[in-house]
Amino acid sequence: MLNNAFFHFLTLQLFKERSKHIGIIIISVLILFLLSSVLFISSSLRHSLNETLQVQPDFVISKVQGGENRATPLTWSNELLNIYGITHVSPRVYGRYFFKSKAKSFLIVGVDFLDEQAHKNLQKLIENIDIKTFLTQNSMLVGEGVKEYLAHNFYDKSYNFLTPKGEFKTVKIFQTLPTKTNLIGNDMMIMPMDLAREILGYGEDEVTDIGFNVPNPDEWTMINDKVSALHYDVRVVNKKEVQQSYEHLYNYKGGVFLMLFLILLSTFMLILYQRYSMVHSNERRHIGLLRALGWSIHDVLKLKLLETLSIVFISFILGVVTAYIYVFIFSAPLLKELFLGGQNLTSTIKFTPVLDFSVLSSIFFIYALPFISAVLIPVWRVAITDPKEAML
Amino acid sequence: MIQIENLYKTFQHENTSTTVLNNINLHIQQGECIILKGVSGSGKTTLLSMMAGLDKPSSGKILIEGEPISKLPDLFASQLRAKKIGMIFQHFNLFDHLSVRENVMIPLIPSGLNINEINQKVTQSLNLANISHKKEALASHLSGGEKQRTAIARALVANPNIILCDEPTANLDRTNSLLFIEILKELHNLGKTIVVATHDPLFDNVSFSNTIIPMQEGTIVEGTVVNE
Repeated sequence: MLNNAFFHFLTLQLFKERSKHIGIIIISVLILFLLSSVLFISSSLRHSLNETLQVQPDFVISKVQGGENRATPLTWSNELLNIYGITHVSPRVYGRYFFKSKAKSFLIVGVDFLDEQAHKNLQKLIENIDIKTFLTQNSMLVGEGVKEYLAHNFYDKSYNFLTPKGEFKTVKIFQTLPTKTNLIGNDMMIMPMDLAREILGYGEDEVTDIGFNVPNPDEWTMINDKVSALHYDVRVVNKKEVQQSYEHLYNYKGGVFLMLFLILLSTFMLILYQRYSMVHSNERRHIGLLRALGWSIHDVLKLKLLETLSIVFISFILGVVTAYIYVFIFSAPLLKELFLGGQNLTSTIKFTPVLDFSVLSSIFFIYALPFISAVLIPVWRVAITDPKEAML
Repeated sequence: MIQIENLYKTFQHENTSTTVLNNINLHIQQGECIILKGVSGSGKTTLLSMMAGLDKPSSGKILIEGEPISKLPDLFASQLRAKKIGMIFQHFNLFDHLSVRENVMIPLIPSGLNINEINQKVTQSLNLANISHKKEALASHLSGGEKQRTAIARALVANPNIILCDEPTANLDRTNSLLFIEILKELHNLGKTIVVATHDPLFDNVSFSNTIIPMQEGTIVEGTVVNE
């Protein structure tokens, strides 16, 4: 019996009692907005992380002494090339450079621009880069945060690095990395490897670490063992371990927010439950009256279910859409800082829009099921009592 | 039409039981108008609620056109109530946020009729209760008399054979009470079976009432007054 008269009455109930519903919708939208924002941010970060890791080497080795990283000998590269199954061995030079006066730091990344893999990865970051011109001068590519910070300190075109030898090294700012790379590249300075060595104080035969690929996943364990056996002071880390550690971090932060959300949701549901269970509430009287006028328990439950579903859908759509705008268009101010931690440099990080169906359905069910239960259980309890008692 | 046999209603409260209805036996014919008279607490409202299936007896039975309303499953009891019984309450029991027309259509919503058919029946009912001029007014904006007429229209909209009225004039002034009695007379003339629970003396001498049944402490007092 879902004819037009029933829907007409449902619409009347929704619109004529809008002052009653609007409060519930506003609170619901706020809760859904918070939940969706957190889940959108964490799934966007996970997506960006996966994309970043895709272009990273499968394994990275470095020299460790006393639990701390030391400069890794470049000769280890040749040893790696002798192991069957290893490809694309790429020594890397990177490290933090502190801008002492303001206690800010930049991440210097040295790249071998003649290496095919490094070149490809860089092409993914910036299109149309003129490598030839870039390599003929002491130049660097900088993230937006670096560019802005240096400009603020009057370094518009170049920056003078102080090397460990106590000499100044002037490096030209060649180009800025695009905004879409801000999540990983905001505080980054990309420069030729030799230049990075000079600024960070590495010797000619030293690197920070060495990356390599193992195309056959079945060989990962065996290669890991072989490489670990090369030297007593080698640390081997694979891509999956890096991915897991990042995911744990984001899941932990997401989990904290989820806990807060669940506390908020439970409180709201309790209020809703109370509202329908209260002995002298208007809702209770209305249900009793409908029953007295010939509505069956089934009819009452159907009306309340559709009424609740309408509120849930309106709130869900409004909450999710506003969260989408907040996260992916306005880059989640406030929440971004809580999620990514204190920013070293001013950042204009843009979250990559990711609309995961499983995330959306999780949001819907985490919210809708408790909401519907909090309304329908007390409604059902009132509906099965004698109408006279409900109308008291 | 309405048959009540050995009806008892007892309330339990903290190990104390209170008998509200004590062995009620009553037989009401089609087209009769019965006045249940008695002071507050005499059990007349409880008896009326049981006739409407709004409350269940502790023992005994009530048959509405042969159907035991208190023992029927919810769906059938609701259908019986919707089709055969129109109820007018002491406090009108209108939905304040809805208009007169919307209040009147409520009993027909679960009937399966479409909105056009419902609107036709609502218009007829509003005319019969003489409240059609206020059909778009919110129930909360009506006077006591107008609310009562809206409640009458709602009770009549499904064209039931039985009209049950619980203290219908308790919240009305004398003029509106007399108007209400006139409407009841018209309904009686239409062949409706009417049961009124009241303590209002205005009902003592209504010309169309067949029977006045005095009630006291949950029983029907001997010496039923019958109007010839």
